[in-house]
Amino acid sequence: MSILEVNSLKKSFGEVNVLDGVSFTVEKGDAIAVIGPSGSGKSTLLRCLIGLERADGGDIVINGKNLMQNGVYVNDRQMRDVCSCMGMVFQSFNLFPHMTVMDNLIAAPVSVRKEDKASAIARAEKLLADVELSDKANVYPSSLSGGQKQRVAIARALMMEPDILLFDEPTSSLDPQLTAEVLAVMKQLAEKRMTMIVVTHEMGFAREAANKVMFMGDKTILQMGSTEDIFERPSDPRIKEFIQSIL
Amino acid sequence: MFKDLLDIAILLTDGVKYTATLFVVTMIGSLPLGLLLTFMRTGKSRILRGITGFYVYIMRGTPLLLQLYFFYYGLPFIPGMRNVLVLDRFTAAMLAFVLNYAAYFCEIFRGGMISVDKGQYEAARVLGFSKGQTLGKIVLPQMLRVSLPSIANESITLVKDTALVTAIGVTEILYFAKATVNRQAVFTAYPVAAVFYLVMTFAITKLFDYLERRYSF
Ligand SMILES: Nc1ncnc2c1ncn2[C@@H]1O[C@H](COP(=O)(O)OP(=O)(O)OP(=O)(O)O)[C@@H](O)[C@H]1O
Ligand SMILES: [Mg+2]
Repeated sequence: MSILEVNSLKKSFGEVNVLDGVSFTVEKGDAIAVIGPSGSGKSTLLRCLIGLERADGGDIVINGKNLMQNGVYVNDRQMRDVCSCMGMVFQSFNLFPHMTVMDNLIAAPVSVRKEDKASAIARAEKLLADVELSDKANVYPSSLSGGQKQRVAIARALMMEPDILLFDEPTSSLDPQLTAEVLAVMKQLAEKRMTMIVVTHEMGFAREAANKVMFMGDKTILQMGSTEDIFERPSDPRIKEFIQSIL
Repeated sequence: MFKDLLDIAILLTDGVKYTATLFVVTMIGSLPLGLLLTFMRTGKSRILRGITGFYVYIMRGTPLLLQLYFFYYGLPFIPGMRNVLVLDRFTAAMLAFVLNYAAYFCEIFRGGMISVDKGQYEAARVLGFSKGQTLGKIVLPQMLRVSLPSIANESITLVKDTALVTAIGVTEILYFAKATVNRQAVFTAYPVAAVFYLVMTFAITKLFDYLERRYSF
């Protein structure tokens, strides 16, 4: 069974049609790079998957549970439950500015999952060590660099032990050096077979860490396949053009 | 000379009780009420949004002095309220102040609420926080912090506004100052009263400075 199945997904904002029949499946352990021109609906797709945006039609099945069937969503409660197996990392980090790094990490486990505070702190310490930010546990996000903020955001998402982690341009607001440190963390996750869907303009990540690439354009998926397929054998002239433009 | 000033100060101290009580009651009453109004003003219900919008408009769009007169002299004129809604001076003053300041605090909190980035709600949602938890743990602390300087400002205005209630005969600081000037024909009661207000605004400034430092992030 695939961990995520999307079938004929449709989404419009008013008159503007953004996604028109998007279908794909994600297998456990996949690291999928989603690329494509600006405005092609990459963010909207991720947001529909995790319930930040409501699609208008199609099916979404996550971990065998329906999120949407034939354009009809499950109720709010079930939606929460189905989406709870996913985490998301944003371009703008969205750390909670009034909480220390540690509190950012343990807030959701303690309040949402009712985890014991001491055990949440222990797990947070381990994750902070993984992203090399152990010394920052007690500072506020405002004193961190962009790269550090994003690593905290990744650690915060991992605290909820998601089955699938969504990234929407996690490095787009970072300069190259900080991008590298965030990509390193994401690569490690991919190596640990974390299931990830990553909207990115970083072809480095697409080539080195992802096992599949999804190319979006014109409201749908133009091609999805292995990294070599997309880069060496693009099926569509628009893909060829895009790849040339960014290399 | 010094003894004269001290005598006047002692006289005015009688008024401090009312000034201070009015200040404290107004703060304690209007801050939560203002917060409640903010939730209604920014909430889902169009009717509640309309009502609170109108309320804020009336309260901010008319003089506080007029509202004082209304609650003290005006209420009994409402048909059927002749013997029911007769408030004593100080109760009328507290009511008018709480209702008036709640409108200002509502707008201050609303500004703070708008300043909370939409990314905060989205991050909270994908982490599984419920709507109530998002409000209580994520939005409220940020909006209160952002609102602090404006609340400080409004509190200082409040200290000075308390003097308005002298107009309906509440015996607060200015009331005694004026009475002293009239009775003894010594103008010094006014500067002494000014010192009383300055001491209070100084304390409030310091308190909010501390709060701003304590809750900086
Ligand atoms: N909330 C919204 N309301 C109206 N239109 C929207 C909204 N969000 C996105 N759109 C429109 O949907 C289209 C797709 O947007 P989306 O953000 O998904 O693209 P994207 O592929 O992520 O682009 P980028 O690479 O620039 O981030 C765009 O035309 C955008 O203007
Ligand atoms: Mg986008």
